[in-house]
Parts: sequence; structure tokens; C-alpha cells
Amino acid sequence: MEVLREKVEEEEEAEREEGTERLSRPEKMPKLLRKEATTLTPELLRDMEQKLSEIKVPIPGDPPTDDTIDIANLPPSYKVNTPREEQLLQVADNFSRQYSHLCPDRVPLLLYPLNECEVPKFVSTTIRPTLMPFPELYNWDTCAQFVSDFLTMMPLPDPLKPPTHLYSSTTVLKYQKGNCFDFSTLLCSMLIGSGYDAYCINGYASQDLCLMDLTREVCPLTVKAKEVVHAEEKAPPKKYAIKPPRDLTSRFEQDQEMKRQEEIKTAEEKQLREEEERLMEAEKAAPDPLHGLRVHCWVLVLSGKREVPESFFIDAFTARSYSTQDSHFLGIESLWNHKNYWVNMQDCWNGCKDLVFDLGDPVRWEYLLLGTDKPHLFTTDDEDDGINDDDDDVENLGKEDEEKSFDMPHSWVEQIEISPDAFETRCPNGKKIILYKRAKLEKWAPYLNNNGLVCRLTTYEDLECTNILEIKEWYQNREDMLELRHMNKTTGLNTDYFKPGHPQALRVHSYKSMLPENDRVMEFYQSARVDGLIKREETPKTMTEHFQGRPDFLSYRHINFGPRVKKLPLNSAESNPRPIVKITERFCRNPAKPADEDVAERVFLIADERIQLCYHCRNDHITASKREFLRRTEVDSKGNKIIMTPDMCVSFEVEPMEHTKKLLYQYEAMIKLKSEEKLSRHQAWESELEVLEILKLREEEEEGHVLTISIYDTKRNEKSKEYREAMERVMHEEHLRQMETQLDYLAPFLAQLPPGEKLTRWQAVRLKDECLSDFKQRLIDKANLIQARFEKETQELQKKQQWYQENQVTLTPEDEDLYLSYCSQAMFRIRILEQRLNRHKELAPLKYLALEEKLYKDPRLVELLKVFA
Amino acid sequence: MNRLCQSMEPRVMDDDLLKLAVAEQGPREEAGQLAKQEGILFKDVLSLQLDFQNILRIDNLWQFENLRKLQLDNNIIERIEGLENLTHLVWLDLSFNNIETIEGLDTLVNLEDLSLFNNRISKIDSLDALVKLQVLSLGNNQIFNMMNVIYLRRFKDLRTLSLSGNPISEAEDYKMFVCAYLPDLVYLDFRRIDDLTRELAEIKHQYTIDELKHREELTQAQWEEAQAQKEELEAHKAAFIEHLNGSFLFDSMYAEDVEGNKLSFLPGVGELLEAYPFKDKFVIICLNIFEYGLKQQEKRKMEIDTFNECIQEAIQENQEQGKRKIAEFEEKHLLNLSAIRDESEMPVIEMKIVECGEDITQLFNVLMTLEMQLVEQLEETINIFERNIVDLVGLFIENVQSSWCTMAQCRDLESHHHEKLLEISINTLEKIVKGELDEDLPDDVRALFVDKDTIVNAVGASHDIHLLKIDNREDELVTRVNSWCTQLVDKIHTDEIMRNRKRVKEINQYVDHMQNELDNLEFGDILD
Repeated sequence: MEVLREKVEEEEEAEREEGTERLSRPEKMPKLLRKEATTLTPELLRDMEQKLSEIKVPIPGDPPTDDTIDIANLPPSYKVNTPREEQLLQVADNFSRQYSHLCPDRVPLLLYPLNECEVPKFVSTTIRPTLMPFPELYNWDTCAQFVSDFLTMMPLPDPLKPPTHLYSSTTVLKYQKGNCFDFSTLLCSMLIGSGYDAYCINGYASQDLCLMDLTREVCPLTVKAKEVVHAEEKAPPKKYAIKPPRDLTSRFEQDQEMKRQEEIKTAEEKQLREEEERLMEAEKAAPDPLHGLRVHCWVLVLSGKREVPESFFIDAFTARSYSTQDSHFLGIESLWNHKNYWVNMQDCWNGCKDLVFDLGDPVRWEYLLLGTDKPHLFTTDDEDDGINDDDDDVENLGKEDEEKSFDMPHSWVEQIEISPDAFETRCPNGKKIILYKRAKLEKWAPYLNNNGLVCRLTTYEDLECTNILEIKEWYQNREDMLELRHMNKTTGLNTDYFKPGHPQALRVHSYKSMLPENDRVMEFYQSARVDGLIKREETPKTMTEHFQGRPDFLSYRHINFGPRVKKLPLNSAESNPRPIVKITERFCRNPAKPADEDVAERVFLIADERIQLCYHCRNDHITASKREFLRRTEVDSKGNKIIMTPDMCVSFEVEPMEHTKKLLYQYEAMIKLKSEEKLSRHQAWESELEVLEILKLREEEEEGHVLTISIYDTKRNEKSKEYREAMERVMHEEHLRQMETQLDYLAPFLAQLPPGEKLTRWQAVRLKDECLSDFKQRLIDKANLIQARFEKETQELQKKQQWYQENQVTLTPEDEDLYLSYCSQAMFRIRILEQRLNRHKELAPLKYLALEEKLYKDPRLVELLKVFA
Repeated sequence: MNRLCQSMEPRVMDDDLLKLAVAEQGPREEAGQLAKQEGILFKDVLSLQLDFQNILRIDNLWQFENLRKLQLDNNIIERIEGLENLTHLVWLDLSFNNIETIEGLDTLVNLEDLSLFNNRISKIDSLDALVKLQVLSLGNNQIFNMMNVIYLRRFKDLRTLSLSGNPISEAEDYKMFVCAYLPDLVYLDFRRIDDLTRELAEIKHQYTIDELKHREELTQAQWEEAQAQKEELEAHKAAFIEHLNGSFLFDSMYAEDVEGNKLSFLPGVGELLEAYPFKDKFVIICLNIFEYGLKQQEKRKMEIDTFNECIQEAIQENQEQGKRKIAEFEEKHLLNLSAIRDESEMPVIEMKIVECGEDITQLFNVLMTLEMQLVEQLEETINIFERNIVDLVGLFIENVQSSWCTMAQCRDLESHHHEKLLEISINTLEKIVKGELDEDLPDDVRALFVDKDTIVNAVGASHDIHLLKIDNREDELVTRVNSWCTQLVDKIHTDEIMRNRKRVKEINQYVDHMQNELDNLEFGDILD
């Protein structure tokens, strides 16, 4: 104690010597705060507090007060302080007193709040660096997300003061709720555990942050990734590039036009901006009367470790990262990690924007302990460094000698543990709702909802969240591979996205209604389909299919349907396909065929009985061949059927060829086309059927919503669980058997001999004989026992039989039944005993011989019994 | 069976016979009626069957250009002839004939299936051209030498072979031998070769086959080497510097130079050559020229490539524009036509038809403008290119002729050598005259040293020959470069003109077709 006191005095002196400069700084330090304070008289403040306390009535859930926390089972380190901790508390106390002396207008520091057992604990020792056993928790973003999901937020009891209690992370995890200090301490422990240079910060932040109010933030899920517009690299004009044709339009007119366009554009932009501003104004929250006074705790990650390029803040409530210049953070009182505690000596008039996080700089950051591994000052030039070093040496001479030896004691908190169950369930009760600006995000643990729903994002039109714009639902582990369902409430369009593996290779299905013959688009995983279908679009009158990678080079088929001709009775089983009016098919270029014979587009006008062909264009041509067939068969004046006439085929050929002019050629082509038309119609019909089938399947899947369970999921997979249990049982039995075989039959006899001495031959022989005779005795005993039981059973049975014969007449049927069942049981027992006895008689000599042999081979006796062997 | 036919009069393959056969084997039913109506051209026929016709001589088949399958079995044909024009033939059946030698098949490069069953062939050869041969039937012939099988090794695609009924098939070893020497064969004498037989055969004939393979490989390697050398020479020729990468020119200088060779026996010449390594220097200069030539060739090639690329791009873009215009036009035209069809009032129809006609004219104008624009652009570019390539060639010639690493240097070197040689010669002459020469000279050399004139003339002649050689090489290079350049430029110009003609023709044809269609419509409407 004496030493400490002295040291503190020295420290004070040193500080005083350090100059007036530093003394003057703290005064103007929390300028922002002071400004607020000067405008608000104490009375006003009290008023406001009162009002606020009135408003703040509906606190979600009670904070875990002492009587709700079961402190009985907590380890002793929670309940008492070790001497080192005591010492640390004294140092802290001293520091605090000096601090209040030097900076009288600053708020007292949060140094040693009480823990759940009402024991003061230094904040740094509450941080327990832990590396979690989950690979998902290795990076800061996932860690923060986990903390924010896992705990329920509770506001500080007094928004203007740091809390009086700071619970251990184990307790916080157990009850799954906490305030910002609990959140930050847990997150900081995890981050330091996984190697980050992380600190807890006690400071001031905006109302939104302190109350975890995200309603003014845009939901990160709704923000669309900005498309990176990469400017197309213009190849430098080649040497022989042709000159463009001369531009004969008027420059002046162009200029004028451009000016006009620009004017319109600026006007539009201005209007837009104004609109935006108006909106912003409307969205902006009412000014917070306690702005800059609200206490908050968050996490700072400094650059350097784990390849972090730049320092940043993490808000533990929302798991969002902020730059250190963010306007949400209004000031810092102090910060700490598991090793040390620093007080901010910089001015926070401009929020955190001007703060320098160079913790080695004693002017900016006042440290509590002179740790051996404190961060070093970033020196700018050598001269300064030298001077500073000298100064430090002079000033800290006394301090260093003693304090260097005093490190932060080990954390009093137990190991932080998260069970895999809890990790998977994440949010308390597996459910969490977050409100964003015009959006609501709901999260569930996997397998909690029996339809596999894990996340739902509802987007609203207005700030009050009444008019739903669209809903996005994410699913997991569904057997039909549904991944995301997007419902647009304004257009009524639903879009389902599937992962690969749907039985019909479905990728995307967007529809307005599940009824067939409506607007819908189905996209498929092309590689999973034999027919290479990528996309099928439907409207009430048409169906369009897109293909890729087909051997017949078909890339597109468009079918126009006409109205149904006949009306079928409603519940008729036979299908009533709509008549097809037109089929348009397009083909990719088949490199094996010459362009003039490779059809590019084929149109079957079924109603007109007409077939139109359009061929591919040759490489060096701009026109393509065309051919049109009239399929109509007519009868000439004599009543003969006209097979083919030249006007039934109209064609334009890029390069007329002789053989194509021939009727025979045209006739053959037409016959072929006719059969192909039939085929196309059949395929169209099949496509329609497939749509019906998919719709039916989708409906069934929707109703069934079966969830898949991974074979590695030991907890949920019933089959594997059974199997595993069976395996365990077998293992256990095996183990027991092994134990038995390892039973040492010599042990009881060896125990009779004096321990530690070597056996003599005589002893060995005796040992063997004793063992054998004992075993023989046991065998005989066993045989006798079985014999005795057998006799007893037989006797009893005989007695019973006697009794039965005597009383046979007077017996009721029930008694008789009882007697009979007894008899059969007794007979069974007797038979078993008989069998056992016989078996024993057979095996006993063998067992005896086996033991004898074993004894001869026993390593302890083998040497001594060799002679006899 | 052909014995039976022999009793009949041999028939001639005339037009009637062919026509009849074509008509008989042509399409049936409705298509047949059409065919009858129109007649079938011989060149459209794909397959022809002429069996059991008692034909003695193959004739009159030259019109069947596109024939794929020809059956001439069961005739009395004695020679294979008249098949030269049937280059598309895939399937040829000449079984049951009286053919004695295989011949006349050298143009049938597409032939895959050849049947010569039951003939009188004694030797397999003259099949070299049939690289795609897959099925060969040579059963019931007179082949007696087993070595004929080795000839078949060159057909990489041969899978089915029949040789039964030949004297060789009597041999005990026949099957094994064939299997061993033709390992890719799948069917022999209409039976599948099982793996066991194949293995056994392989083991049995392993040594001879390995030797054969080795020899084949050697020939292959030699051939490849020769090919590679040829290619290299071609490349050098393209750069106009062939044979300059060595002492070839130098050697050729002395090849025809009798006096020079004689003079090299003179006592001082050896020393002279040692002191001034004439040959080495000469070769170095040649090598310099060679390398320079290669570099220039590379440059020219790059120039031509960029030019071609740019021209292609321009043409492509123009084509795209043209296609777009046509597509736009067609869309509009189609609408117009259907509107005309729906319209019932005559004046309106006429008005619309006129409108359509105007549209077509406008399309023609647009397309032609595009084409003219392209022609102008291309002309300009071609002229620039022409200038550049001529400059390049000029530079090359100039450098080869007069700069530092050139023919001029060769000449200097030669003159220098000549002077030295003359000096030595005169010295020697003096020595001989004085009788101081102690070395023995060959008689014919000594004959030169009769008097001063003779020796000077001899040395001069040698010099002249050398200079002539150098001049010739230079002239050759220059003329060839120049002619290449003019050819290139001419080709580019003609190509461009051809392209232009073709496009103009295409446009005209299209527009004419459109106009015709419109006229027909008009006509039809008026009829209605």
C-alpha cells in the first residue's frame, strides 16, 4: 500500500511536470458535451429526464436483476477478488481519483462496475479472449452477426450513464440478453480470441445506435449491388481501319439540340433532387434532445492484426461496421482491452472524426497500466522520437520500475462456451425480427418452421410500414430445393428460385397464378435436361421455348394457340388441347451444312396450311434464301389429285440452283416438312403436358414441404441416430467382453504371496495347482448348483401335479388354466436347466484343459514351469 | 451364274439401258409421277443398279457425277474402266465379273466399300487412292501370294476383309497371318475376329511384324523430315532469301570456275585465304542478308495481316448494316402486302402497290449507297496499303543491294580477293620465269603460266564468273520480290472488284425478286 501511494504521488508529480498543456486540454475536451450542457440548465435536464422516464415505460422485458440470476452455481472467481485483482482495483481507484482531480468537469470513468455477484471487477478482466470452435466465427463479420443474433438487446437503465453492473459473458450468454456493454464485451472477447486487435469503447453515440433503432437505416438486403460499369476498352484504331463516311449533318444544329437536351436534363435533375430532399426531410427524425449525451458501448478494431487494412468500429447491437469517421459516434470517454485501459484525452467537439487511434501516444491516450506490450507510438521523425524517449525516461523512471511488473490479472470470467445447438438456433427461441427503414426482416433458425422458412424480408412503401411492396422469403433444407420466393404485391407476380436438384430441373418459376394457361415463366437448369430447354414463357395464347446445345440446333420455338373449339364437360378425363395456329421454330447455324440448305427459321401456319422457310445468310451475303410451301391439296378439273404444281412452292434463292427448281425436289422437301410439322405439333402438345405436370408437382411439393436432413446431421437424422446407437451398444458389449477376457485368473493367488518378490519354482507350481484346483472346484460347484435347481424345479412340478390330481374335480376353469400355464413354464425351465447341465458337463473338461494350457503359457509362470512342459 | 449369261449376246451400256434403269429405280408413286413428268437427269441420280445385264464393257457413265452407289455385279465385265468421273462414289460392287487386274480406281477417293468378289484377280494393288476404304471383298479370286496382305496395311480404316476362296486361304497359317498383319481388322471372311485369335496371331508373328513396323516408321520419319525441309525452303523462298543461310552461293561461285580452282593450287593462295578468310567473310555476309530477309518477311506478313483484318471488319460491318436494312424493309413490306390483300377497293390497292414499289426502289438505293460507300472506303485503304507495301519492298531491295550487309559488300570482297590473287599469280609467274619455283605444280596449272596475258586472263575469267554469280543471285531476288509485290496488289484489287460485282448482283437479284413478287400480286389481283 505504501509503495502504491508513493507511486501515485510520483505519478501526479510527473503529470504536473509534463506541462500545463495537457492540463488545459481535458477542460476543452468534451466540448460538444459542454455545449449541450450549457444550453441545458440542470432543471431542464431533470425535466427532460423525467419526461423520458415517462416515455420509456415499455421496456421489453425486465433486465436480469440479481434475484433472477442464479449466483449459487457460479464459480468462486465470480464471488471474490484475488489479491492481484484487489491490487488492480486500488490502482484503478487511484487513477480515477487523479483523473477526477485533473479533469473535474469530465464524467467519472467506468473502471470497475459490479458483476452479477455484486463484486467490483475491473472492466479489462471481464474480457475473456476466446477462440470459438466454429469455423464460421473466425472472421469479425460473422462474429458480430452471431453476437447480434444471439443476444436480445436491452437498453441501458439510464441512457446517460454507464451501467453500474457489468455481467460476465457466460451469464450474458446463458440468459441471452444484455445491454450494449454486455454485447461489446462478448464480441470483444471473441474478436481478441480470433486474433483481432479489438477494444471496447465507452462513449457517446446517436439515439439510433443506442436504442438499436434501425428504422432509419436501409436494410442491407434490399440494397442492390451497384453494377460496375466498366468502360469498354476502345481498341486503338488499326493502321488500315477505314475512315467513316463523311458526316454531313449540321454541327450547329447538333449543338443547339444538345444544349436543349441538357437544359431539360438539368431541370429534371433539379426536380428530382428537390423531391429527394423533401423526402429526406420527411424521413429525418425529430432532433434528439439528448443528442451527444447518450452513453453507448461499441467495439474498435485496429488495423494491423489479421490483415485488417484500416481501423473501424463495429456496433455490437447491429453487427454493422462503421468507419472511424462515422457521424453516428459522438465521443469517446475511454477504451479497453483485456490488457489495459486508456482514457481519451482528445477533443470530441467533432464527434469521432478527428480522433487518432494511436494508443501509444501518451498525450492523446492516458493509459492506466504501463504494460510491457503497450502499442508503440507511431513516430514521424527520429528527432522527436529521441526527445520523447528522453522525456519518457525521465518522467517514467519511478513508474516503470514497479509497474512493469504489474500486468493485468487473468480474467475472472469462466471459459465462454456456446453449444452447437445454441449456435444453430442462434436467436433466442430461434426467432428474431429487425425493423429497417421501410423494411422488416424476420429470421428463424433452420428446421424451426416446418416449411423450411429461415428468413423473410418484407418491404413497405411507406415509413409507417403499412403498405406491403414485396416479400422475399428464404428457405433452407427443402426437398424441392426451393431457395427463395419473391412476392411482388404490386404486380402480383411470384417468383420462386430453386437450387440445382429439383426433379424437373426447375431453376426459376415466376407466375401470377398456379392455374395453367396463364402468364408464367419457367427457367430450367439446362445441363440437367435432355432436351436442352432453358426457358419456357407462357401467356394465355402463346408459349415460347428457348433451347441451347441441341444436336438439331433448335434454339427457339414459339407456339400460338387459338381458342378452344369444343367445350368438354368439366370433369372429363381426356385432355382438350387448344388448337395450334402457328408454330415458329428457329435454328442455330449448323456448320456442317451449306448456308443455303440450313434452315434458320421455320414457320408452320397450320390454319393456312402454309409452311415458310427462311434459310441462314451466307457469310459474305446480305440476303438469305426463302421458300414458302402451300400445303393445300387440290383437285384439278378432271378430278385428279394435283400432286405438286410450281405455284405451290414460291422461293427466292440467293444463288439459283438447277436441282432446286425441280418439282420432285420440292415435293420431297414438302413431304419431309409435313412429317416435321407433325413432330413439332406433338412436341408442342408434350410441352403443354409438361407444364401441367410441373404445376401439379409444385402444388404437391408446396403442400408436403418435406425437409431434407443431411446424413451428417447426427441430431436430426433419425436413421443415422438409430444406427449410431446400435453401433454404440455393440461397442459397449464388445468392451465388456474384452474386460472379461482380460480378467486375471492368477491375481487372487498372487495376492496371497508377498508382493514384489520373484516367484520360486515351488511357488509357481503351487500357484498353478491351486489355480487349477480352484477352477475345478468352481466347475463342480456350478454343476451342483444347476443340478440343485433342476431337482428343485422337478420337485415343485411333481408337487403341483400331485395337487392337481387331487383337486382336479373342484378346480375352476381359471385355476386350471393357471395350472396349465405354470406346467408349461416349469417344463420349459426344467428343459433349459437340463440342457445347461449337459452343456456344462461337456464343456467343463475342455475349459479345465484350456486353463491349464493358459497357465503354462502365462508369462509369469512360463519360465518356472518349463520343466514340466 | 455368269457362265449362264455368257451364252447370251453381250450388251452395250447405252443411253437407253441407263435411262431404263434410272426410271425403274427412281422414286415411286406420287413422286414417281412427278419424276416421269419432268424426267430425271443423270447427274441427280445417287444410286444405280445394273446387275444381271450381261454387260461386257463399262461405258457411258460419265454423266452420273453425283453417283454414290453403283452395282455392276453379275455381268461379264473384263476391265475396270470408265469410272473416272464418279468421284463421289462410296459403294462399288463389281462382284461376279471377269476382272483380272485391279485398275482404273485412282480417282475414286471417297470409296468406302469395294466388292470384287468372284473375279480373276491375282494381285492386290492399284488401290492407293482409296484412303477411306472400310470394306474390301476379294473372295473367290486367284490371289496366291500371302505378301499381298501386307499391301493392305496402308488402309487405316479397313475393318472388313474377305479373302476366302483364294489360294492363300488354303494355307494353314492364313487366318493368323492376316490377323497379325492387319491388327485393326474386325471381320475376316464375314466372321468377327475374337480377341484370343488376335492375341495368338500377334505372338506368333511378333518378330516379323516388329521389323516391318520399324521399317515403316523409318520411312515415315524420312518422309516427315523431307517434308519439313521442303517447308523450310518454301518459307525461305517466300522471304526471297533461300540458300543464303550457308556457303551455298560461295560454293556455286567456284562450281563452274575452272581457272579459279586451278589457281587455288598456287603456293601463296592458301596463305592468302588463311590471312583473309575470304569464304568465312562471304558466308557471314550471306547470313546477314538471310536474317535481314527473314525480318523483312515478318514485317510484310504483319502488314498484310493487319490490312486483311481491317478490310474484313469493314466488310462485316457493312454487311450487318445491309442485313438490318433488309430486315426493316421486309417487316414493312410484309405488312403492306397483307394490307393490300385485305383491301377490296381497286384505287386504294393501286395506290398501295405504287407505295410498295417505291419502298423497293428506296431499299435498292439505300443498299447501293452502302455498297458505294464501302467501295470508296476500301479503295482508299487499299491505296494506302499498296503504297506501304511497295515502300517496304523498295526498302528491302535497296538494303540488300547497297547498304552495309549486302551484295555490294560481296562484290567488294570478291574484288579484293581478285587483286590479291592477281598479285600472287604475277609473283608466281615471275618466279617460274626465273626458275625459282621449287614446288611442284600440276601440269594444267603450270600451263597457265605461259605468259602474263594468259595468267591475267585466267584470273580475270575467274573473277568475272564470280561476279556474274553474285549479280545473278541479286537479280533473281529483286525480280522475284517485285513480281510478288505486283501480284499481291493485283490480287487485292481484283478481289475487291469481284466482291463488289457479287454484292451488286445480289442486291439486284433481291430487288428484282421483290419487284416480281409485287407485279405478280398485281396481276393476280386484277385477275380476281
